[in-house]
Amino acid sequence: MKKWPLIIIVTAIIGLAVAFIIGQLLPNIRTSSSDIEVNITDPALIKQGEYIARTADCVACHTTLNGETYAGGLPMLTPLGAIYSTNITPDKETGIGNYSFDDFKNAVKHGVRRDNKTLYPAMPYPSYQLMPDEDLAAMYAFFMSDVKAVKQTNLKSELPPIANWRWPLAYWQVLFDRKRDFVPETDDALLTRGQYLIEGPGHCGSCHTGRGIGFQETALSNADSNKYLSGAIIDGWRAKSIRGEHRGLGTWTVAELNDFFKTGRTDTTAAFGAMAEVVEHSTQYMTDYDINAMSSYLKTLTPAPNKEATLPTKKDITTQKLLDGDYDSRGSILYAEYCQVCHRVDGKGVARIFPALDGNSAVYSKNADSVLQITLSGGRMPETPHDRMAFTMPEFSNLSDADVAEVVNYVRNSWTNQAPKIDVNDVVKMRAFLAKKPKTSTDIAPDLSIDAQTKGAK
Amino acid sequence: MKKPPLNLHTIASVISQKIKMSNLTTAILTASAVSVAAISSGCSQPEPVEQNAPEYGLVTADDANEDIGTYVLPQDTAILDEPNADEIFYGKRLLNETKRLLPEHVGAQMNCNSCHISQGKVPLGDPYINSYNTYPRIMPRSGKEVDLEARINGCFQRSMNGKPLDRQSPEMLAMMAYMKWLSQNTPKEQKVDIRNAGKVDDSLIPDPMRGEQIYKVQCATCHGDNGEGLKDSRGDIVFPPLWGDESFNIGAGMARTYKAAAFVKYNMPMGIQTKGLWGHGNVLSDQDAVDVAHFFTHQPRPDFAGKVNDWPNGKKPKDARY
Repeated sequence: MKKWPLIIIVTAIIGLAVAFIIGQLLPNIRTSSSDIEVNITDPALIKQGEYIARTADCVACHTTLNGETYAGGLPMLTPLGAIYSTNITPDKETGIGNYSFDDFKNAVKHGVRRDNKTLYPAMPYPSYQLMPDEDLAAMYAFFMSDVKAVKQTNLKSELPPIANWRWPLAYWQVLFDRKRDFVPETDDALLTRGQYLIEGPGHCGSCHTGRGIGFQETALSNADSNKYLSGAIIDGWRAKSIRGEHRGLGTWTVAELNDFFKTGRTDTTAAFGAMAEVVEHSTQYMTDYDINAMSSYLKTLTPAPNKEATLPTKKDITTQKLLDGDYDSRGSILYAEYCQVCHRVDGKGVARIFPALDGNSAVYSKNADSVLQITLSGGRMPETPHDRMAFTMPEFSNLSDADVAEVVNYVRNSWTNQAPKIDVNDVVKMRAFLAKKPKTSTDIAPDLSIDAQTKGAK
Repeated sequence: MKKPPLNLHTIASVISQKIKMSNLTTAILTASAVSVAAISSGCSQPEPVEQNAPEYGLVTADDANEDIGTYVLPQDTAILDEPNADEIFYGKRLLNETKRLLPEHVGAQMNCNSCHISQGKVPLGDPYINSYNTYPRIMPRSGKEVDLEARINGCFQRSMNGKPLDRQSPEMLAMMAYMKWLSQNTPKEQKVDIRNAGKVDDSLIPDPMRGEQIYKVQCATCHGDNGEGLKDSRGDIVFPPLWGDESFNIGAGMARTYKAAAFVKYNMPMGIQTKGLWGHGNVLSDQDAVDVAHFFTHQPRPDFAGKVNDWPNGKKPKDARY
């Protein structure tokens, strides 16, 4: 009887050791070698690779605010501590200068480093594995020849012991990132291109698809399930559903989506938060054909499960009350004082300058986190050559938490908007979260000085 | 063996030792209780924060350095506590939406709060915070004592290129009531220690060509390539015209290069910073501001009939337009 504890401990240790050894071996199964010879000095290939790197938006995560491009160091907050993106410049000591093409391909597509260790799935290799090797070759040529080598040592993760072991991630990869190929849903060339960009390099699902218990995306394609791209919470933002229901992209046209991807705004809305960065770093550089392909494919997605395909119509009684000075709630007084000058009495804003609040699917989404975050910390539209200026939303962090809840509830339920109410605790939580969140470029005002202006073709 | 003598001294030292021991125990208990409390409060939520309202010092006319109190900028929700809340709200609306609510009196496509930014609550943005206490005062432009009603009517005739209000009209009284409320009962002989306008170097020589370039890049998106302004989907003015028939007339302070430059530097553009109620200002250098201000102030704009009566005692500023 007394020997039982001992047996359990010994078994556990042996089991852990076996798991460890297998975990060390597993990455070998994922990696592969190719016979592709990459001419990294071919200018056409470099140019192609630069474009592909834009579609994959590598720069967004591998560059910090005011940091060197692609030198890494951006923290990604996890409940156990931050992990940091890595230096992917061709520096031989601290970057990927010693990577062969196969090393590069195995890291990007299979999540295995040159030293055979697994990468955290914060790197969207489950999406990138759909990219053809020829595209990877072009990207390799770009990174090796056209990206400036920066000596900057990678930061260690803040994960506590045991949680910072990398070998268990090999099992994560076995469970959640099985080898798969891109399977077009139709034989339409435009829709197929759009589907590929969204599922593959664009890795839209990293933010817009919910995650399961193992932090895996609950669907990696529309064929997997209609949970794909049905919305999720990330970095305190509601990455809205981009499927076909009312709160998703149901009210958007292909033309509006094209405008949004190319310029970061439409006549009624503007990209903000993490999506502003996606437009600024990635989609604005994409060809009109590729943008139209993505928009067209997104509009084929059916409504997400368990979500209202259409919301009941609601009559606007807000505008007349504000015009009459009939302030029937605390929220309406706050709106008139702080919001109305830009977003207007009818909540329609000013085209391409101040986004509309009425009928804006980012405002009346079920989850209020995006509205809360931009109210408390402000933000700005992406800068693109299409518009002369990129406007900001100032932070209203000086308001009391109770008043932020009041005014957020007001804008989410005024005019034709209808959304669930939040309470003061949601504001408290968001404020606490924002205190720890690192700032990104679209959290701060653009450089509008005359010197900066004369540099660009604005 | 000899028993230690039981004297007062030893008793005292024994007691004090006991006290020390009990102190130590108490200290440990307290410390652990505090740390438990700290841990549990770390797990539970922080308390909701209250409004962090801007605060400014109060000063007297006699001694600007004397510390006599603090002015706390009120939020409009506090108007509900006033017995004349309806009147104050009406005044606030008139200042925000002057053109829509008083079309007979406003000739330009302007509202009072086109210039008095964020409802007159922002220092350097032509605030109304001290207006109630500053008037009546002798104004150099008119050469005589002007009260607040007359000052407001001056704006209607110049900046709004319109007609004065009846001094006893409900509209005039409502705007006065808002400004009185905004003064938060600051005693008449005191004022809030803020500046109504920022400073620019008025020795700078304007370069209108450069001003036009700056205008196109940083102003025209909102105020229009031809200075025509921009309306919202209902047809109400958002960004006022900066020249032309629907702009302020040459009698307005805003038609003067250096006054306009000081406004533009600290308040324009709006929606461009992530701080400040309008996310405004602090983009231009003094020279930029003077250049762009000279450019737009000197575009065609309505004349001001009453200009003949201005500056009767001389001392006309160098950027006056007549």
